[in-house]
Amino acid sequence: MNSISSDVIRGYNDTIILFLLLQHPSYGYEISKHIKTLTDEKYIIKETTLYSAFTRMEKNGYIESFSSDKEGSGKRRTYYRITDSGREYYKTKCSEWNLTKEVIENFILKEDDYGSNQELS
Amino acid sequence: MEAIRNYLETMFANLPNTPEVLRAKNELWQMMEDKYNELIADGKSDNEAVGTVIAEFGNLDEISEDLGIGSFVKSKSQDSLRRNITMEEAKSYLHDSSKYAYRLALGVLLCIISPTGAIICDALDTSYIFGLLFLMGSIAAAVIMFVYSSITMHHWDFLKNELCSTDFATTNYVNDQKERYCTTYALLMTVGIILCVVSFVPAAIIDELDISFRGFDMDDMSGMLLLVIVAIGVFIIILSYSTNSSYDHLLKLNNASTVAGNYVSSQHPETKYISPTAATIMSVYWQTVTCIYLIWSFLSFGWWYTWIIWPIAGIISSVLNGAFKKH
Repeated sequence: MNSISSDVIRGYNDTIILFLLLQHPSYGYEISKHIKTLTDEKYIIKETTLYSAFTRMEKNGYIESFSSDKEGSGKRRTYYRITDSGREYYKTKCSEWNLTKEVIENFILKEDDYGSNQELS
Repeated sequence: MEAIRNYLETMFANLPNTPEVLRAKNELWQMMEDKYNELIADGKSDNEAVGTVIAEFGNLDEISEDLGIGSFVKSKSQDSLRRNITMEEAKSYLHDSSKYAYRLALGVLLCIISPTGAIICDALDTSYIFGLLFLMGSIAAAVIMFVYSSITMHHWDFLKNELCSTDFATTNYVNDQKERYCTTYALLMTVGIILCVVSFVPAAIIDELDISFRGFDMDDMSGMLLLVIVAIGVFIIILSYSTNSSYDHLLKLNNASTVAGNYVSSQHPETKYISPTAATIMSVYWQTVTCIYLIWSFLSFGWWYTWIIWPIAGIISSVLNGAFKKH
């Protein structure tokens, strides 16, 4: 099976993280764990990628960070929560993706069409 | 866990020591620690967990631009010119340094006790030739000690001449060793200084009581006693100070403005002076004071009052430091 191309997914790391933060504020490892389980381990986000996304989105005002010991484990972690402009941004990214998908879809062959296409060429 | 910490510290070692960088390091460490703990809880072996965490860490290039350290990550090649000191080298340096300290201290001890032969000859009323031989002999032995010790340290000169760096594990090890030595160091220093301070006491007592022992005048011997006590005191001071500074030397190797340097160097910041002239003055200050002390003492032979130069010099030194140091 092909592994995912980081070039393609790069533009949507923010969307993935914002989607998870829409549900509840969270911290680094929890987010990366959710990404892993939701994508059935097909996409494992690198720690540096995740941190880079956090700092960028915080700078742009899409998310806010706060320190908390929510789980009561005695360990304080940096949590992130989504802001209103983050929600707006998420919506634009969603429609952008739908458009992208629609456009690219026109050029993607179905598995069973592969053979016939090769005969044509 | 230690392996992960080492990995992270090594990745960050050459980055500038800014709040953003430290925060990034902290956050990444949190994530790695969480991941490691969960992998271990899932029944993975330590090796597997460490491997997975490191494999999924990513690349620092990715965060460099967000941290405003892009230029640093790119110019890494420049910093990698720093010669890396391995754990074995560090251990071997510390070993050689302690030998060096021992020889140096022994040489100084021999120099200080070199006149005692002459004093004994004088007290025993024998020929001066034995005293002279003892003087020459011990000074020659001291010179051999000095030369030999500096030759054995010669191959470590690159530590001073080249830019070097130590990795996190080595720095940690050296720091541990230094902390372990800390109590011994304080104790030895105290003993050495006390010996020097009280060195005149036996001589003064002998002088006061006017003791004579089996016919020869103990008064003559009191000078010898003083020298021997001072020699032992100085021996202890040099030995412990020199050993301690070998730890500091290794700990100061890393660039203080990077994360690696931050590990200990911030507690021992390199002294910066306001001008090169000030730096020059301060670098020869104690040598000058020693010269003045010796010249004055030998010319006046007033050893019982010339020591006053030391507390005065100490006060002047702190005043000058206050005035010359960059804040």
